[in-house]
Amino acid sequence: MIVGEQKPIEEILLMIEQYKKIMVVGCGTCVAICYAGGEKEVGVLSSMIRLARNQTDSKIEVVERTVLRQCEEEYVKEIENDLDGIEAVVSIACGAGIQLTAEIYEDIPTYPGLNTTFIGYVKEQGVWAENCGSCGNCVLGFTAGICPVARCSKSIFNGPCGGSQDGVCEIGKDVPCAWQLIYDRLKKQGRLENIEKLSPYKDWTTNRDGGPRKIEREDMKK
Amino acid sequence: MENFQPEILALCCNYCAFAAADLAGSMRLTYPPNVKVVRLNCSGKLDILYVLRAFEKGADGVFVAG
Repeated sequence: MIVGEQKPIEEILLMIEQYKKIMVVGCGTCVAICYAGGEKEVGVLSSMIRLARNQTDSKIEVVERTVLRQCEEEYVKEIENDLDGIEAVVSIACGAGIQLTAEIYEDIPTYPGLNTTFIGYVKEQGVWAENCGSCGNCVLGFTAGICPVARCSKSIFNGPCGGSQDGVCEIGKDVPCAWQLIYDRLKKQGRLENIEKLSPYKDWTTNRDGGPRKIEREDMKK
Repeated sequence: MENFQPEILALCCNYCAFAAADLAGSMRLTYPPNVKVVRLNCSGKLDILYVLRAFEKGADGVFVAG
């Protein structure tokens, strides 16, 4: 999932200080699962905004809405009829959701209430870890299902490097060396030769070398 | 501030604190009228939204008992 973290309330309050009526829009998919931008968080953030502004002379009306997926037009359009008098939108979806909302409702300034952080999974309750770099050319088949792009601090393809000691990365004691993990799992599976199938340097043309990426599928087009 | 009487919302667990408040009533014990008791099925049902909403509606303090 896309994992995000809500921005500090002080930062959000500063962005919306000139407005008297706003809408906080959440997303019911990835950021809801990581307790950062779902319906519950919309309620909490809206309440905190109202309470903070009640302390000042400038009260604010906050409309609360959450759509199932803020990265799809048909869901974002669900809030269309509720935008009467709304001076600004605070979106707590991921960066894609915020941008789509800003694009569909071009006349209304849209502000981010969330920092989109990474693609990852739940490691344990309350802990999320990054594990996909969305590089556009997956090598997990050679690396025993452990991503060297996202989980190696240097994203190298010929690790482990000299900074790996006792299975730990030099950047921090709680960061396991991805290449040690790859080696250990490949060995356990009896397919260590896979390491040699990897190119020591990666072809990054599928990453962002060609600018913003786009997928077009003729079979899916209207 | 001298005469300030805070409005307190008491969120009480059905199985202990609320039962105790009920018993206090049966015993004709009194408590200040600025404490408003709301029953929760369990204090584990407490949600941050209840607390925030209470403050928004004008409570000066929220008391959770369970």
